[in-house]
Amino acid sequence: MSQPESHPLSKEALAEFRADVANWLEANCPLSQRQPIVREEQIWGGRRRVFPSSDAQQWFEACRDRGFTAPEWPVEYGGAGLDPEEAKVLKQEMTRLGCRPPLYCQGLWMLGPALLVYGNEAQKREHLTAICRGEIRWAQGYSEPSAGSDLANLKTKAEDCGDHFLVNGTKIWTTKADEADWIFCLVRTSDVTPKQAGISFLLIDMATEGVSTSPIPLISGESEFCQTFFDNVKVPKTNLVGELNGGWAVAKELLKHERKMMSAFEGMLEKPAMELLELADYAVGSDAQGRLNDAELRSDMSRHLMREAALGQLGERIYWQGKAKQVDPRLPLLMKHLGTSEAQAKDELILRALGDEGLSMEDPNVSPGLRKMVKQWAFNKSLTIAGGTSEVQLNIIAKRALGMPSGEGKS
Amino acid sequence: MILNEEQALLRETVAQFFNEKAPISELRSLAGASDEQGYDLQLWSEMVELGFPGITVPEVYDGLEFGWMGLGTIAQEAGRCLVASPLLSSVVLSQNLLLNCGSDAQITTYLPSLMSGEATATVALDEGRFFNPDAVAMSDASGTLNGQKDRVLDAGQSAYIFCIAEQASGERGVALVESSAEGVSIESRRTMDLHSSASIRLDGVPAADIVWLTGYDVASGIQKTIDQATIALSAEMMGSAREVLERTVAYLGEREQFDVKLGTFQALQHRCAHMYCELELAESAVSAALTALDHAAPNIGLLASSAKALANDCFTLISSEAVQLHGGMGVTEEMDIGLFLKRSRVCNQLLGSSSYHRDRYARLIGF
Ligand SMILES: Cc1cc2nc3c(=O)[nH]c(=O)nc-3n(C[C@H](O)[C@H](O)[C@H](O)COP(=O)(O)OP(=O)(O)OC[C@H]3O[C@@H](n4cnc5c(N)ncnc54)[C@H](O)[C@@H]3O)c2cc1C
Repeated sequence: MSQPESHPLSKEALAEFRADVANWLEANCPLSQRQPIVREEQIWGGRRRVFPSSDAQQWFEACRDRGFTAPEWPVEYGGAGLDPEEAKVLKQEMTRLGCRPPLYCQGLWMLGPALLVYGNEAQKREHLTAICRGEIRWAQGYSEPSAGSDLANLKTKAEDCGDHFLVNGTKIWTTKADEADWIFCLVRTSDVTPKQAGISFLLIDMATEGVSTSPIPLISGESEFCQTFFDNVKVPKTNLVGELNGGWAVAKELLKHERKMMSAFEGMLEKPAMELLELADYAVGSDAQGRLNDAELRSDMSRHLMREAALGQLGERIYWQGKAKQVDPRLPLLMKHLGTSEAQAKDELILRALGDEGLSMEDPNVSPGLRKMVKQWAFNKSLTIAGGTSEVQLNIIAKRALGMPSGEGKS
Repeated sequence: MILNEEQALLRETVAQFFNEKAPISELRSLAGASDEQGYDLQLWSEMVELGFPGITVPEVYDGLEFGWMGLGTIAQEAGRCLVASPLLSSVVLSQNLLLNCGSDAQITTYLPSLMSGEATATVALDEGRFFNPDAVAMSDASGTLNGQKDRVLDAGQSAYIFCIAEQASGERGVALVESSAEGVSIESRRTMDLHSSASIRLDGVPAADIVWLTGYDVASGIQKTIDQATIALSAEMMGSAREVLERTVAYLGEREQFDVKLGTFQALQHRCAHMYCELELAESAVSAALTALDHAAPNIGLLASSAKALANDCFTLISSEAVQLHGGMGVTEEMDIGLFLKRSRVCNQLLGSSSYHRDRYARLIGF
């Protein structure tokens, strides 16, 4: 494929940018911050943020000050104003040097991109800046006990009280709500049909009176998410994003970014104690020719590695289509389902290979690194559920990519 | 695939050409021909006129040097119509084997007649039940060339056969023999996809009738050719898979049962959506492999094996599902769907099944 020549930047300018960025990273990223990220040392920002080390703080602050926590956001909102091509170069250079992501935040991945489209100027200034400066940590308040895949069925009510809304109801599966400062919520502001037409998008400070959270334990033994309660919570009207009753459009824009992020989540996670190949060799051993002793595992691993590589190639294809202005809008719809199922396929290979050592998350005789992999296997079962289940993704693909007829078939 | 302007134009031209000149009814007409005939000569001569044989050939050898992405485009469009032609046997396999393994003099002797359509050639690679290019028994140890080759594509219509064989020195080589040479017997058969391939016996083909290719590094030239052909065949398979999926989705959008279009049933929607995911995943691997050929990337073996394994699995899945989702119509001879099913299974065995390629991939990576 002769790569499309329509770069807004010349090859020279891009090469110069690459050199500049590489120098900057060399100078500003302490060696300790070029070690593979471990979960406990991820920097999530927020009012209660703590830095695991002074190096981590230095690296975060250097990125923050250069706008590199949100490279593609406009400079006036705290980003670096890079175009996609430059952002890709930055990412490549960071990967090459092994630099850790400077900031983790749902605000960065989900709310920010949606605010850039639907937020008003004041909202963008206030919230985008606080997000990329790592000052505010966000949670996502979409799902409710009776509104999962059928998100539009949500019931949390925001009543118009003149200068503010009065919010009552509950959200569930709210990731890290107990550590977040603000929450973006879908709330019901009208009972019209269709249900989608009565939803608004509200930003709520979780320090407001009447907001409370209660953690829910997961099968991986952790407690990633909470139920969040709203009991007569007063929210200023200025916190409405987009039109009143126009929240569904904002919600969908945001979901697009959430799914994109989830399909590529692996790169941001803690690297497993051992790579798949190393692990398989350690656990099942290899013959004199270097072939794994378990032939079926070996074949399944090949299949997985090929598919994982093809996923990367699909991502590249989408990227270059964008650059060449030959966008096939169907392709991004596939990424979440394909990416998350392949991540789970890998976890299953790991568990198979581990044999006896894969049977406990707590056994002190098993190395902590391996136990973490077992926990990851359990935790990653949520990948095909969170952010729109795989079944919902397949519904979307059938309708929007294949144009299959809607209307429920009866039999 | 991402195509530049010229490649996009090529795609359009080629698609129109195959739709007009080589619809699936043309393939069906081969069923009545003799087993030696694997394709229609008239169609082939028109493909030659369009310049297909020179598509990847360097300009120094009077080719178009249009690149592998261009060839992949042609292969895909051919796959959509299940076109039977010597594109794989002569253009991809033979011409590239000559280019990769021949001396300059050998290339200039044989290539022009292949490119002009005056003659076609094929490559005799497989021996036995499965593709396994590492196991070659054919040899000229006794001074004459002896052995048996299987699944030699279009051999019945080829003037030349490039045989992969052991040379007296013990090294792997490429022996060019004319199909009319003494000691060559060709037994053609029509495979279920209506293409023609043959088992070939060489019984004491005299040294005088053999030209050993003597280019630089013949052994890696053979491997390179196999990878190129594997990728080109994968591209063709993707075209077929895409076509048969589109036909299936269209059928479900028309056919009514229980007073609704079948396509409204979610069980069927999910199966189609799953197939489409698999299709674009495999397409990405094939596209990356074609790009890598154009950039002479070093890890081509891995990319070729990935492309073929994914294309095999994807086309197998989609063609099976296509039959199922067409109901009774799907198993009738009248529908073309069955031809896609049969072609898929033949393609699986050509240039390596998924098991072969998964094993090779693991070997190349070292596990
Ligand atoms: C780890 C994790 C983190 C999460 N974090 C957040 C968060 O921060 N904020 C937030 O708002 N939400 C969050 N979620 C919630 C998530 O978005 C929902 O779990 C998801 O939308 C599915 O809803 P549900 O759990 O109610 O499942 P249900 O909708 O009850 O689905 C149950 C099953 O039925 C299937 N199903 C449902 N509808 C259909 C249909 N139309 N066709 C076919 N099959 C169907 C589903 O695919 C699933 O298999 C999180 C979830 C997880 C697992």
